[in-house]
Amino acid sequence: MTAVPPVQTVPDGGLAAARRRRRKPTFDRISFFAVFLGLPLAVYLLFVIWPFIQAVYISLTAWNGFSNAMPFIGLENYVTLFQDENFLRAMLNSSILGLVLPLITIVLALSLASVVTLGGPSRGQVRGLHGSGFYRVVSFFPYVIPAIVVGIMWGMIFDPNAGLFNAFLNAVGVPIGQFPWLGDARTALGTSMFIITWGFVGFYMVLFIAAIKGIPAELFEAARVDGAGRMRILVQITIPLIRDNIQTAYVYMGIIALDAFVYMSALYLSPGGPENSTLVMSQELYYTAFGGTGKFGLATAMGVVLSLITLAFAGMVFGVNKITGGSAQDERL
Amino acid sequence: MGPLASTTRLHLLEATLNRIHTQSALGRRNFLRGTLAAAVLIPTASVLAGCAGGGTTPGGTASGAVTAGNPFGVASGSTVDAVIFKGGYDVKYVEFAAEILAKGEAKATAKVSPSTDITGELQPRFAGGTPPDLIDNSGAKKIGMTTIVDQLEDLQGVVDAKNLEGKVIKDTLYPGVLTPGTYGGKLASINYVLTVFAVWYSASLFKELGLTPPKTWDEMLKLGEDAKAQGKYLFTWGTEAATYYQEFALASAIKEGGDDVRLAIENLKPDAWSHPAIQDVFTALETCVKNGYFKPGGSGTKFTAAQASWSNAQEALLYPSGSWIENEMKDQTKAGFEMTGMPVPHKSSSPKLGADAIHSASDEPFVVPSAAKNPAGGKELLRTMLSQEAAANFAKTILAPTIVKGTVPADGFGSTALVSQTKMLDAAADNVFDIRFGNVYGLNKDQLVTWNSFLDGKIDAAGLTADLQKISDKVANDKSITKIEIK
Repeated sequence: MTAVPPVQTVPDGGLAAARRRRRKPTFDRISFFAVFLGLPLAVYLLFVIWPFIQAVYISLTAWNGFSNAMPFIGLENYVTLFQDENFLRAMLNSSILGLVLPLITIVLALSLASVVTLGGPSRGQVRGLHGSGFYRVVSFFPYVIPAIVVGIMWGMIFDPNAGLFNAFLNAVGVPIGQFPWLGDARTALGTSMFIITWGFVGFYMVLFIAAIKGIPAELFEAARVDGAGRMRILVQITIPLIRDNIQTAYVYMGIIALDAFVYMSALYLSPGGPENSTLVMSQELYYTAFGGTGKFGLATAMGVVLSLITLAFAGMVFGVNKITGGSAQDERL
Repeated sequence: MGPLASTTRLHLLEATLNRIHTQSALGRRNFLRGTLAAAVLIPTASVLAGCAGGGTTPGGTASGAVTAGNPFGVASGSTVDAVIFKGGYDVKYVEFAAEILAKGEAKATAKVSPSTDITGELQPRFAGGTPPDLIDNSGAKKIGMTTIVDQLEDLQGVVDAKNLEGKVIKDTLYPGVLTPGTYGGKLASINYVLTVFAVWYSASLFKELGLTPPKTWDEMLKLGEDAKAQGKYLFTWGTEAATYYQEFALASAIKEGGDDVRLAIENLKPDAWSHPAIQDVFTALETCVKNGYFKPGGSGTKFTAAQASWSNAQEALLYPSGSWIENEMKDQTKAGFEMTGMPVPHKSSSPKLGADAIHSASDEPFVVPSAAKNPAGGKELLRTMLSQEAAANFAKTILAPTIVKGTVPADGFGSTALVSQTKMLDAAADNVFDIRFGNVYGLNKDQLVTWNSFLDGKIDAAGLTADLQKISDKVANDKSITKIEIK
């Protein structure tokens, strides 16, 4: 990505002209390159590429985090990782989150966005439901609340004894008693996914609304004149026209799902939740490094695996989009 | 600049724009994926922050003359950099000692910096070779002692020195309080606060309900039944404190079976958890779970909420915990709740360590890193804290005893919990033991999972035993973890 592409022939100048200019570096040229190419590149190398190289190296050592000794142990950390029950469990949980969360969040956000922008009366101008502005604000609201607050708040709502949720269910006649939603291995992960989705649907909805508003209204009107129903408009007009936005949203939501550190830490005060059913990779990484045994080398190896999984996820989303006929040149991400 | 120059500039801009437009889509996408990767890697990068540091600089600045009033030779007017965990005890007690220090012979100034994230704050400083002079390595984010033990000063010199009142410090301490800070023969930390582990109850509530505090497991199970009849639970637990019941079970088993049990568990021996003394307690606990003596839903309840259901709502009768419980629940304790501690129950009529044996340990480990700038100053501040004056101030303001004897009056400053603590300590005399393996090897996170399942009734005593053994075995078989032989 850092390779310099071949100089293009400019229409009216030609290669010779380009060469002549290159021989005379002016202050203008040098400062232009320094500011717009050199500086970002240096920052990128120093703060992105260099830590990454360091991370890969540290993952091959038995560094304990507190000393200068970094004994090189080759791939041993990776061997340990893939035999470690907790890590494998965390990888499974993270993968479930990565597969399910973006799907439900995006589908929900898209449906809501569509209703708010296009779901209005079928006569007159194409518009959203009555009072759509209100729904937009209401559903965006959770996104404004910091993740940690979302976690604590829902932790209280799902409290088995004093929580609103059980009280509500019991009051409307569902005999749920004191069921610990976040304390039972069967429901913990699902409940967490609900909470994370709750926090993000509004944001993606607003994102999709903006994208849909960018589509010329004539297109929808023409489709309607041709007799297309709302569902058909959504599937055949809206989605194909905003698929790049959907792809971007999908990747972002996937990254959030694969991390999930703040939510899981706030919701499960004993890390990992019931029977480790909500242990995610970022948590396992954190506790391996800072949990008392000082296994920074092993923790870094987890970080490397996590980033590879995230990259694979992004690649998969791009791949699926391409196979299903998305634009060959994506310009948005 | 003339017109030519501006034309050139325009051409350049055009060429650049053209290049951007015609560059292959693949190359650009790769670059963008790289940016994406960067976003992913930021968490990784922050883990690395620590390694940006440099080499270790050998500790020690210019030192002052060693005198009776300045036994470690602190340089006159030097600064002591102290990083103190700010938890339930706050940091005022160290600032109090710092004031005394400033008036002392060395005229050293201590800078007391409170912290709630000892590891996060100090890991880069350790790795960079610039640790502070004195650390209170406590709290949920304390540094695992085994990872830094060889970078710490041996503090034997401090306890061998005389305190400010002229007495040799080690003669002023409760018995056994230095053991928890000893790692392979080296006194790596001096743990300042004395904690008594016990089963806590309200003496007033027991009187009101006509119940007797149980001494044995038989009495405990009977009490469970009586409590049920009165619409109360025997125990309650919170999700992040489920392992309090591990401490409770182990203390009971060690009381019954003595050092055999303790040393096997502490030194991660195979099948240690299958010892009959431990199994008896696990079975009894299993009965409590099965018979519904535990308030349900604990694995989804925050521990302070669970504790309040004992100290405020009084739904449960008993709660096993360390003596910090009184201070912790200060604002959520019902008026007239006479909080009292009693030793954990035992199985037989003649437990090996005696019925009065207790689990008591010194906590709040203070350490002095060898690479610090002013380690002598760190030791001097610690010596000041161990003086009668500073220790008495701690007991009075925090309502908890330090490891220094004779700082709590008979009325316990009006606290029934503190009075019962002193009573238990006196009754136990030398029959005091500690349980360290969980902290030493950082096992709490994994043990919490299985304890929550057990108290929830999801697994039985056999399942609990198997899980706990697996957690111990994992550390025992991990060659990369330095083992400390616990005696």
